[in-house]
Amino acid sequence: MTVFILILMLLSINMLMAVDRLTQESVALVKDQINVSIYVVPDAKEDDVKKVRDYINSFPEVINVDLISKEKVLESFQTRHELSPEIADALKELGENPFGPTIVVKTREPGDYKKIIGALSVPEFDPMIEAKSFDGHEEAITRLQNITNRIERMGLGLSVIFAIISFLIIFHTIRVAIYTQRIEISIKRLVGASSWFIRGPYLVESVIYSIVSVAVTFALVFFALRWIDPYLAVVFPNGFSLTNYYKSSILFLVGTQLLAVVVMTVLTSMLAMRRQLKV
Amino acid sequence: MIKLHGVTKIYPGSSVALRDVNLHIEAGEFVSIVGQSGTGKTTLIKLLIAEEKPTKGRLEIGGWDISSIGNSQIPYLRRQLGVIFQDFKLLNRKTVFENVSFALEVAGESRHRIHDLVPQVLEIVGLGSKSTRYPDQLSGGEQQRVVIARSLVHRPKIIVADEPTGNLDSINTEEIIGILKKINEFGTTILLVTHNREVVNHLRRRVITLHDGQVVSDEQSGKYVL
Repeated sequence: MTVFILILMLLSINMLMAVDRLTQESVALVKDQINVSIYVVPDAKEDDVKKVRDYINSFPEVINVDLISKEKVLESFQTRHELSPEIADALKELGENPFGPTIVVKTREPGDYKKIIGALSVPEFDPMIEAKSFDGHEEAITRLQNITNRIERMGLGLSVIFAIISFLIIFHTIRVAIYTQRIEISIKRLVGASSWFIRGPYLVESVIYSIVSVAVTFALVFFALRWIDPYLAVVFPNGFSLTNYYKSSILFLVGTQLLAVVVMTVLTSMLAMRRQLKV
Repeated sequence: MIKLHGVTKIYPGSSVALRDVNLHIEAGEFVSIVGQSGTGKTTLIKLLIAEEKPTKGRLEIGGWDISSIGNSQIPYLRRQLGVIFQDFKLLNRKTVFENVSFALEVAGESRHRIHDLVPQVLEIVGLGSKSTRYPDQLSGGEQQRVVIARSLVHRPKIIVADEPTGNLDSINTEEIIGILKKINEFGTTILLVTHNREVVNHLRRRVITLHDGQVVSDEQSGKYVL
């Protein structure tokens, strides 16, 4: 029973960690896809456009600035609409390239885009800029983070509940064990057994509980990951896999969880013995 | 060896178990402590094995001051004492050999020394051939002999026996007292708490009589006078 509850507690902690890792990866993926496009008027001078590009590039929040020439913009537009003869006819009718160059900006954080867009709304650049597009990715990220925060809070709550149940079960198990072995314990005391000689078996038992529960938990986690990872491969095109994450951090993950469980079970055992054993 | 200076023990609820007890027991003595039930004999044993501490006064045993002994020192004191009880206090799931070796294991003795010492003490108490038996396969007298072997295996300077013959018939009683006398001849101090008039009278050794928590007589070659 003790091991079972410890496993449930560890599973909920691992679920929490996996959700956290997935959130980080999802947010990074979404952020990577966000950019702002600044459409320059068709008759803007090349030097002026470069000036705008250099101005944007001077912001520390900016990671990358791509200047797409008006010819490339037209080419890309034609490729996108090659199946629409009406659009091709309309372009022919115009007789000239109706597009201006486009500046594609990527920043470190989605919140930085507002600053860049705001910085361009000055009389020097405003007449040159036809439009600025910024998809509502920021809202999507916030929503994603809200959902994962809620899942994390639920996971944390579950972990705390399982930790409390584990504490009560271990506490009770040791008290019952001490009660049923009270004659043996009194004899040990009588023949001069030290406090640690009497407490030792209970502490060893707690450590064994911890080791078994961590081992079973990780076996279950790896089994579950084999089932989850193919789905993640579809969602994350960059090849992110939870199995790889667990494998690369296995020593840290097993070490910290084992240490935490050992500390918890040993402290609980010591508390139970302190109340039950006057040795 | 054992010194009590004005020892008083009062339990919660103002129940006085011992009042101003003064005793001096030399090394190698065989002392019987007698008295009616509730006169403080068991309390005296509990004080001697540091299960209780005196409320007042000073109690020294084998160089240890029980009045101020720390919890961590108690196991070391108990390894210097042999304790025998009326109800044996044997581990039923362990063999005779294991019950005796257990006392050495808790003291951290090596396996080699345990396998050397245990058969020797079992021979002394006449159980050499029954080392693989379990307590419930032995008679009351044999069980008490296992307890004596267990208390002897530490080579203690003092053996405290609380009604060791209380559950035994006259033949087994004689055997147990005979073993205790033999141990005493090797120089071990014996403190025998008993109700058995015949045993005390037969021994003709020092007799301390307790009454209402006080020492009412202390005779070097006494008799059971209650």
